[in-house]
Amino acid sequence: MFGLRLALSKTIATGPNLIHQQTRNTFVLKRKWPPPLHKKGGKPSKLRARHFVYDLIEDTSVTKKSDLKIILNQFVDGVGNQGDVLSLRPTIAYRDYLLPGLAVYANPENLEKYQVDESKPKVTSKYSSPYVQRTMGCLSRLVLQIIMSKTEPWTLQPWHIRASFRKACYVVPEHAIIMPPVTITGPDLSLQEKEFYVTVKINNKEEVNVRCRIHHWATGLERLPWVKDHWKKPFEALIPEQASVLENLPLPT
Amino acid sequence: MASSRIQATARQLSKTFKKKTRFEIGIATDLPPAYKKFWREWKVLKPAAVHYVPQESKWKRDELTGETLPVQNIPIPLKYPSEIHEGIWGGEAVIKGFQKRDPRRRRVPHYWVPVLKRTVVKSEILNTNLSVTVTDRTIKLINDHYGFDHYLLKTPACDLVSMLALKLKKQILIELMNGCPRYEYDPAKQKDIYNEYKTYLSSYTPEEIEWYGLTWYEALSKVAKMKEAANKPVPLKSVYRKNLVEKLRAANKESDNSPAEDISTTTSWLSKMNPFGKKDEA
Repeated sequence: MFGLRLALSKTIATGPNLIHQQTRNTFVLKRKWPPPLHKKGGKPSKLRARHFVYDLIEDTSVTKKSDLKIILNQFVDGVGNQGDVLSLRPTIAYRDYLLPGLAVYANPENLEKYQVDESKPKVTSKYSSPYVQRTMGCLSRLVLQIIMSKTEPWTLQPWHIRASFRKACYVVPEHAIIMPPVTITGPDLSLQEKEFYVTVKINNKEEVNVRCRIHHWATGLERLPWVKDHWKKPFEALIPEQASVLENLPLPT
Repeated sequence: MASSRIQATARQLSKTFKKKTRFEIGIATDLPPAYKKFWREWKVLKPAAVHYVPQESKWKRDELTGETLPVQNIPIPLKYPSEIHEGIWGGEAVIKGFQKRDPRRRRVPHYWVPVLKRTVVKSEILNTNLSVTVTDRTIKLINDHYGFDHYLLKTPACDLVSMLALKLKKQILIELMNGCPRYEYDPAKQKDIYNEYKTYLSSYTPEEIEWYGLTWYEALSKVAKMKEAANKPVPLKSVYRKNLVEKLRAANKESDNSPAEDISTTTSWLSKMNPFGKKDEA
């Protein structure tokens, strides 16, 4: 019977023979009491209940699976160029790259087709880190609320911006913040309806502009009235030179 | 003496008597060899070991006694629920058995059921995405074969098990045989895909593809339909009508031919008689 299978698999599988590779999947069991031997070429004896008692050897649904190699067949933003070989977790590779058609399997034919040279050093990307694009995207979409006192006099300092970033769950060191060219002092309620931007320098290389708005804070009767969805409203630029840049920054909808 | 002789004949008879196979009974005798080949691939071949680790060697030495014993891999019996045909489980199935959780306790019945998940598989030849129920093993096999189509075409029917997979395989083979008509809008891609998969066509003839992936019942009904179409009963009404028409035509021909000859050749006085002619002519 195994000879037959071999002959058939030879006729069917012209490529690499994958049927004979060892398979360890899902529940791999073993008989606790193996059945007795039968005569050569004879019929196996009838199985008794004790031959159905199994021990679990392995459950492959919980074991870690090896990485899958794929080749990108087009430029993917933040991932790589056409012909780049990626080694990813099989589920992620299958779901995010193979099914949408962004990549193909790294089989010998495809390696030849896309002329992949794995020994060749990768082209150094123009970004300082693979996550820079993501961080830049997040920061450019942010509307940073800078909460300042309505009663005490103040001048806007970098640490104010840093604290506001921290409130918005971004840890930004002070040396990475480039302040606007004018000094902003308050309290001044005309600033309430204005906006400006600060520039954040990531890894001392990439620069991204962050939209900032000043909110005057006070308690009791002096508290400013609540405004619904104030971050969605377009405001006027505080500094006229910044108006064109602010227009290009996306506003949350 | 007599009884022993009877026993001997009975033994001889039992040796010569051969039970009829399913292909030798009734209408199944008319099934073509193409279907027999598929049946062999589907039901006779033993599926690959999925739920146990087969021992590779032919012989094994007993550690304690040093006795040499043959290795006989008896597969673990599997249960195939009807749901298996609605998904592609990659050779996995349900195992019914017992667990011995404690050596001093009675064994406990247990079913080992594969973990099923619904995901999308992409068929290049059919140019579609399909939402199917699969197991992790299926996805692993698809990745190992570098694609769903390669997996289906390279795996024998006994390992695919499910009817869904077999029907898909048949459709893929038909599509391939016709030269991928779904890619007609892009001839370059059509050619690429055909060249990639055409090696699989060499192991099938068009008749085998026609008979591939049919259940026993479907194959029998196909044979019955073909037989019925081949010797369709003709109503006697139309046979008789045809005969009659032919007879009449033949008779007509005869009657057409004979009077002309008669008139020219006859010497009977009656034919010379012309009742409408002038008196002196007659």
